[in-house]
Formats: sequence, structure tokens, C-alpha cells
Amino acid sequence: MEPKLYLICNRIEALVASHLSAEEFGTYMAVGSRKNNYGWVMFVEVDPSVANTYPAAAEAIKRCEVHSDGQPRRSKYGAIYRVMEHIPVSAYGKLHLVTRDGRVLALEAQPYSGDQDSKGPRLYQELSPVTPMITSSLGPAGFIKFITDPKNLVSVPRILFADMLADREPDGRLAGYLPYTNPGHICDCLDDVAANPDKKMTKTVNRNPDMNGFFRTIRKGFFLGDAQEMKYYPYPSEDEMDDQHHTWWRSASL
Amino acid sequence: MKRLNWIQRMLGLALALLATPAWAVEAAEAGGEVARSLPGWWYIVPVAAFGALFMAWYFYRSIITCSEGTDRMKEIAGYVREGAYAYLRRQYKVVGFVFFILVLFLSFMAFGLGVQHPLVPFAFLTGGLFSGLAGFIGMKTATAASARTAQGASESLNKGLVIAFRAGAVMGLTVVGLALIDIAIWFIYLYFFHHKLVGGDPMNLETITVVMLCFGMGASTQALFARVGGGIYTKAADVGADLVGKVEAGIPEDDPRNPATIADNVGDNVGDVAGMGADLYESYAGSILATAALGVAAASVQGWELTKTFTYLSAPMLLAAAGILLSILGIFVVRTKETATMKELLSALNRGIYLSSILIVVAAFFIIKFLAMPIGVFWAIAVGVLLGIVIGKGTEWATAAEFKPTQFIADQAETGPATIIIGGIAEGMLSTWIPVMAVCFATMLAFGLNDGFHDLLAGLYGVGIAAVGMLSTLGLTLATDAYGPIADNAGGNAEMSGLPKEVRARTDALDSLGNTTAAIGKGFAIGSAALTALALLASYIEEIRIGIHREIASAYEAPADGEAYTVKSFDHGKYGFYFAGSDSSRAGNQNWTLSAFEGSGKNAVRVTIDGDVHSVIINESGHRAKAATTATDLDGKPLVATKAGLEDFMNYYTITLMNPKVLVGVFLGVLLVFVFSALTMKAVGRAAFAMVTEVRRQFKEKPGIMEGKDRPDYARCVAISTTGAQREMVIPSLLAISVPIVTGLFLDVSGVLGLLVGGLTAGFSMAVFMANSGGAWDNAKKYIEAGHHGGKGSDAHKAAVVGDTVGDPFKDTCGPSLNILIKLMSMVSIVFAGLIVKYAPAIGTWLNITK
Repeated sequence: MEPKLYLICNRIEALVASHLSAEEFGTYMAVGSRKNNYGWVMFVEVDPSVANTYPAAAEAIKRCEVHSDGQPRRSKYGAIYRVMEHIPVSAYGKLHLVTRDGRVLALEAQPYSGDQDSKGPRLYQELSPVTPMITSSLGPAGFIKFITDPKNLVSVPRILFADMLADREPDGRLAGYLPYTNPGHICDCLDDVAANPDKKMTKTVNRNPDMNGFFRTIRKGFFLGDAQEMKYYPYPSEDEMDDQHHTWWRSASL
Repeated sequence: MKRLNWIQRMLGLALALLATPAWAVEAAEAGGEVARSLPGWWYIVPVAAFGALFMAWYFYRSIITCSEGTDRMKEIAGYVREGAYAYLRRQYKVVGFVFFILVLFLSFMAFGLGVQHPLVPFAFLTGGLFSGLAGFIGMKTATAASARTAQGASESLNKGLVIAFRAGAVMGLTVVGLALIDIAIWFIYLYFFHHKLVGGDPMNLETITVVMLCFGMGASTQALFARVGGGIYTKAADVGADLVGKVEAGIPEDDPRNPATIADNVGDNVGDVAGMGADLYESYAGSILATAALGVAAASVQGWELTKTFTYLSAPMLLAAAGILLSILGIFVVRTKETATMKELLSALNRGIYLSSILIVVAAFFIIKFLAMPIGVFWAIAVGVLLGIVIGKGTEWATAAEFKPTQFIADQAETGPATIIIGGIAEGMLSTWIPVMAVCFATMLAFGLNDGFHDLLAGLYGVGIAAVGMLSTLGLTLATDAYGPIADNAGGNAEMSGLPKEVRARTDALDSLGNTTAAIGKGFAIGSAALTALALLASYIEEIRIGIHREIASAYEAPADGEAYTVKSFDHGKYGFYFAGSDSSRAGNQNWTLSAFEGSGKNAVRVTIDGDVHSVIINESGHRAKAATTATDLDGKPLVATKAGLEDFMNYYTITLMNPKVLVGVFLGVLLVFVFSALTMKAVGRAAFAMVTEVRRQFKEKPGIMEGKDRPDYARCVAISTTGAQREMVIPSLLAISVPIVTGLFLDVSGVLGLLVGGLTAGFSMAVFMANSGGAWDNAKKYIEAGHHGGKGSDAHKAAVVGDTVGDPFKDTCGPSLNILIKLMSMVSIVFAGLIVKYAPAIGTWLNITK
């Protein structure tokens, strides 16, 4: 049994080695143990060859041994805190979204063809290593460059975030189906950024939002990257979800 | 071609029946034997009843021959079926034991104390048996139909709708068929055969109707247990499944990993199918019997000829028979196109309901003309039919997400659980105005249009027949109601079996429609209970009349030679006049007895008793006494000329608001409604707690359940809900049965009438409030889930889930149980009237609280 490497990237950054397949690992993290997470889980597959350059990954793989009774080891933590910055973007594989009841959806990275497909302002939920909700006048690629630019006072080496729905009603209110807390404030932030697109690249909406109904609020998908490279994990449409991933979607939209 | 021949034969039979002499009821004396016959048209009643049962069987066969789908679908349906049967087996054991005790008690009253007709225990048993049977058949069909509906939906939306609706129709037609057949068989037996089997004179129509009315108590008792037990079961399972499954574990609805999900599906059947069936069986039979009894009472008081009396007795039965035939027609009209929207689906059901409603009004016109009854009776029927539609629409307005009240409640969710609870309670309370005012208007109209302001009994007959009119197409309205849980279960089956998207979309559409029809059905059941209860109040007085007469007749003292009669004074102003006769072999000698009580007014006669002159009202006269005596009072008025009217009883028992017994009775009635509601709510809480504990235990002890590696123990959850429901239903049910008896024994008839009025008014309003609040909370949550106020997962949604959970026992346990409580109290009072009449005065004297 060859250990696999996973990077848990919501609430905590943790590099975990495991003999479980990604789907089994997701279910295990959500419901397989009494110390399981409350709420959803998100993790990315990591190429085990990263062990060549990242000692913590090598150590995790080394320690991930089969149990004495032949049972696979389900999790062996290699590192927590500031993990993402040590793993190059090219080493990240599929992104897995796990619902509270342990259903797993795998998203494959695809090329991203630019930020021009929709006009801003945009609403982003940062997921790792920091977790504020942001409005921005920048598209995802621009935003990654901006937020990972060390020249900025506030920056991170690498980031994972989601592009969120921010549809408006004809009267300007946030669309009724969006479950965000304090929707009026979100509108104000969106309007503020829209009014000054060149001056105000980003604006913090909420430092640590509760992310109610998170899986219902993803617009285009997830973005992982830094100033040099990025990966785009497109999120299926609602119809595709209901059609092809019905079981996961039912749990995700509970 | 075959079908055409069959229809021709049925039409031929109907015409032959109508062609027989219409007025063949006149009893012919032949050597002391009374020959009895019934007009040919009366046999339409049993024919329609058998027709309903035949069509129920036909629909059942047509459903059962449909495919149940894949092995997985069959497996899930099998779990639900097993659970439902396990519940019913357990329920019937408990109810059987309670019935055994009650039959012993009723038999003691009949044969030991002589305060009741000896047939009452048997009537009680058949009422309970048929009511239970109606519920059982409905549930058997529903549990057989859910997987078939899902499978039907995989072929087309229309096929899914037709299977689910016809399965509901089996329930509807079984209820009306069994009720009418029970009435018809009892009537034929009492009218033709009873006197031949046990000897004596043929039973008069007054006695026949009041004996038959007693089978309503059996049906009510069965219905109460079915409703309370089913209501507790379904909500314990639902709340347990939701709280642990959805809230704690994040499992969606109808997920096979949830141990309580099968119990939840079983609950839909035992609560909304078996419970509703038993409930409406009682309303339907009760309204027909109470109206028939009122018709005979009116005839008896006014001295109508037998033919006219018989028309008043038969009109509700004939109307019910016509309603059955039109319901069958309406059932065939319900179908839809493949691309139907929710609105079009609802229109498909409404088409059937409206068509049968219009046609029953037309049929009622011809029935009333044919029976040569006053046109006011027709208008009363039309008012009843209209009332059913108004209450249905009112309920829809109060609970459907398309209307303001529910949207207001959803708005309140934005500010949290507290405000949504406040909003739901407020809207529920406010929503009572539609059905309550509708019943008020309908009562006044039915009463007034049938000349009630000049003739009290005629007016009350109008109210009674309005209730019959409202319930006449019950076969169809109950079909729409029973359709709800079938479609709900079909949706669950489709989900658990992993059927394709388009099938789930169809079962979801059918399920959404079911939610609306279920709420309307509940409103209809409560409204009909209120209207029927008013007729039962008047029938109660008729039972008092019979009770007084039975008490007095049982103390028969033959007059001395040469004397026309003997007069005996009883305590509390009751008197017996005994005439000479040779029929002393019969218990009670009622045929040679005239009973009377103190009273004044135009109906009073003056007689000398023990040397003093007394003004008395004749309560009842055995018909031989009536035929034999020419005795007159001191003023030369014939003793048997006029019987006591309702007003005379009101005076005799001092039934006025100034009598504290009446007022205390009213308070007790209101109190009973609140205590009963509290007990059933607490019962749901306790049973749900046990379910939550069990589901948590299973998740803890079998962690593989959540990962899909272990199978949950569904049967254990079913057993927990079953045990909880059986244990918890006993105390509220016994309370409902015992309070009218205890109140009667201590506060006499005046207290009982107060109790019934208090229970009726508070119970009706409370039931509507609870059903509408619960329905509105449920739909407010669905409205939010549909994408308002943040949709699923939002804070508003969390608040709405709290509202929905609070509303669950409101709408599915307390509300529906209250309408049975209203009727059961009336029925218990009616059945125990003889006991109250005989013993309440003695207890009152002992307590020094007699007038």
C-alpha cells in the first residue's frame, strides 16, 4: 500500500499521509472517527514526489505504515500550519469537497482562460491560508497575483479561494437565495469596489464568515495559485450537480 | 363493449329500484304482526355502498398489477410495509383491550343497570371494527402504492399521478362504502329483523336512529386512538429523523443511512392515511346518523306520518349514496399531461372536486324534489357543499407559500427563531377567522333556510344535512388527502432507490402537490367535525329523551283493575304513566309507558299525582301507549298529543348561561381541549426523545452506518416509535372518554352540554389554529428553501427549521386529534346519556347541587 498525500485546506492547513483513496479519506475525515470535523471538509491531493523537496512530506510518508493487523493507516499528520507555501502549485492534484455527512466530490483542475468573462466586482471567499470574505475589482487571476505579491503590505505566499455568487435583485438587494450573513453589507462592499475599481482592488467584507450553505454559493469554482502559477477547479452547474452528482449535491445543499 | 353492458345493467337495476312503489313503508297490521317494507329507492343506499367497495377493490387491483419497480424499490417499500403492519398490529392490540373494557362497561349499563339499549355494545363494536378496517385497508393500499407510484412516475407524470390518486381513492371509497354499508345493514336489521329475532314489537324509527347513532362512539374511539397514536408515531419518527439525521449528522431527507427514515415513512402512512381514514369515517357516519336522528325527532315531536318521517330519515343516506356515485365519477376525471406544472397538477385534482361538488348540488335538488321535502333542505345541502370548498380554500390561503400569511412567517425568519415562532402563532390564530366564520355563516344559513327560526328541529336538521352535504363527496376529497402521504413515500422511495433525475423531478412534483392537498384535507376534516358536532348536540337531547323514558319504563307498575293508568313520581320531577297491557314479557315495558317531566308552557298538561296538581311535559310515549290511550289531562287535553321539544329540555335541565353548571361545563370543555393538546404534545416530545436517543446510539455503536458500510437497524426505530405511540396515546384517549361521563355524573345534562359547547368552540378554533400554524411553518421553510431569505443553510433557514419542528406536532398530532376529541365527547355523551339521566340527579342530591 503506497501512502498518498493530502492537504486539508479548510479551517486548518494540514499535510496528511494516508493509505486511503481520496474518497475514503474524505469520508473518514467527515464521519469516520469520533474526532471528526463538524461541518464540511476540503482537501487537495498532493503529488508524493513533493517529499523530495519538502521534508515534512517525506516524514509523513515514512511514518504512514500499515497497522500491525494489516489494516491501512487512515491518517498520519506530517505538518500543520504554513504548509501550502511549501508545496509548489504544480504538485496539487484534484480538489475534494466533502459534505458533513461524508459525501465526496472530486474536482479536476482545468486551464483557466482569463478574467474577462464576467465584469466585476467579484466576491471571493479565501479558504487557505487565511479565511476572510473579500470583494474585489480584480478577476481571479488578477486577484491571485495581487494577494500573493510580496510587495503588498498584506499578502500571502500562496492562496486557495472560491469565486462566490453575488447576484443582485433588480432593486439592488443581494439575491434572495444567497445565504450570506449581513447581505446589505456585502452589497455596500460590492458597490464600494465597483465605484473605485482602480483605487480599491479589494475590500474585506467579513474577517471570518460562518460560510453557511457554502457549497451552494460557488460561482465559477476554486482557484489555487501564486504569482507564477495557478490552478482552476471549475465547479459544476446546478443542473450538472443534480444530474451527475445528485447524492453529493443533496447533502451539500442541505 | 363489456363495460357498456355492465353500465346498462346497472342503470336498469337503478331504474327498477326507482320504479317500485315509492311509499311502501306503511306498516300493515296482519293478525297482530306488523309487516314492514321499504321503498325501492331506499336500496340505492346499500347499492351505492357496495358500488364504492367494488370500485375500491377495482382500483386496488389496478394498482397492485402495476410493477413495483427494481429490487431496491421493492426492498424499501417492504420495510415501510412491515413497519406499518407492525404498528397496526400493536395498535389494534391496545385498542382491542380498551374496546373489551368499554364493551364490558356498556354491557353492564345495558343489561345490568338497564340504562341503555341492549344493542348499544354491539353497535359500538361494529363502529370500531369498520372504522379500523377502513384505516387498515387504506394503509394497506398506501404502502402497496408508494413504490408503484415511483415506478409509474418513471414512465410518465400522469401514470404516477393516477396510481397515487387511485390508491388514495381506495381509501376514500372504502371509508364511505364501509360507513354506508354499516348504516344500511344496521338499519335493515333493526327495521326488519330485530323484533323477529328477540321478540316484541318492531322497533320504532326513533329507537332505530338513536341505537345506530351509538355505533359512532365505536368509530370515534377507534379514530381517536388512530389519530393520537398515529400522530405521536409520525412526529416522533419525523422529529427524531430530522434532529439527529439532518441537524446533527447532516444527512438529507430520505437517506437510507438514517435509521429513523423508514419509521418516518411509516409514520406518514399511520398518521395521515390510517388516522385520517378512521377520523373521517366517523365524521361521515356521524353526520348521516345524527341528521337522520334529528329528522325522526322532528317528525316525532310534530307528529308527522310515517312516510314523511321516513323521508327525513332517508334523505341524508340517499344524499350520501349520490355523493359516492359522483365521487367515483370525479376520480376518473383526475389526470394530467406530461409537462404539467404544479398549478396544472392542482387543477387536475380540483377538476374532480369541483365537478363532483357541482353535480352533488344538482343531484341534491332532484333528491329533495323526489322526496317532496321543503326546498330549504336543498339550500342547506348547497350551503354545506360550499362550506367544504370555502374551508379548503381558506386553509390553502393560510398555509400555502403563494399567499401572504406564509410569506409573512418566512419574513419573520430573518430575525431568528423567536420571531418566526411569534409570527407562526399569530398567523395561525388569525387564520381561524375563515373556517370559524364560514361555519358560523353556514350554520345560520342552513338553520335559517330550513325554517329554523320558526321550527327549531327543522333548523337543526338543516345544519345536520349541511354537514352531510359537505361530506357527501368524501370519497373524492379523502382520495386527495390520502394521496399526499402516498406521493411523499413515492418521493422517498425514488430518492432512496437512486432513481434518475427526471423520475425524481416527477415524484417531487407529485409530493409538492400532496403537501397542499394534505393541509386542505385537514381543514376539511376539522370543519366537518364542527358542523357535525352541532347536529350531535341536538341528537344528545334525543338520547336524553330516550334515557328518561327507559329509566321510567323500567319501573313499570301495572294499573289496578278499572283504572286507565298508574302515575308514579320519580325524584327530580320525573313521572311515569303506566297503561294496562299484556306485553309484560318485554324488558322495560316501554310500549305501555308514558314518561314525563315537570314543565310549563303550551306543551304542558295538568295531571293529579298523589292528590296534587302538576304541570308536566310528556317526554316520550311507547307507541302502544300512544295508540291505546285516549287519556286526557285535567283540562281535557290528550296526554299523548305533543311531546317535549328541545326548549322543554332546556327548561327542565335549566340549560342557561345563568346556571353555574353550564358555565362550569363550558370551562371544563375548554380546559379539556388545552390539557388534551398539552398531553399529546408532551407525548410527541417524549417519544421523539426516545427516537433521538436510539438514532444517536446507532450512529455511535455502528460508525460504519455513516460511511455506508453498516446497515442501520430500521426495525428498532420503528419499534421505538410504535411503543412510544402506544404508551403515550392511552392517557389522552382515556381522558377524552372519561371526562364527559364524570362531568355528566356530577353536573348533570346541563354540565355536559356546557362541556360539549366549550369543547366544540375551543377545540374547533384550537384545531384550526394548530393545523394552520403547523402547515404555514412547514411551507414557510419550503418557501425559504426555494430560494428566499437566503435559501437553504442561511440563518433564516435555520430559524425556519425550528418553526417547522415546533409545527410538526401542531399540525400532525394535536390539530387532527382535536377534531376527534370534539366528536368523541359528543358520542360518549350520547352513549352514556342513560347513565347520566339516571344517576346524575342522585349524585347531585348527595352533593346538594340540584336545583
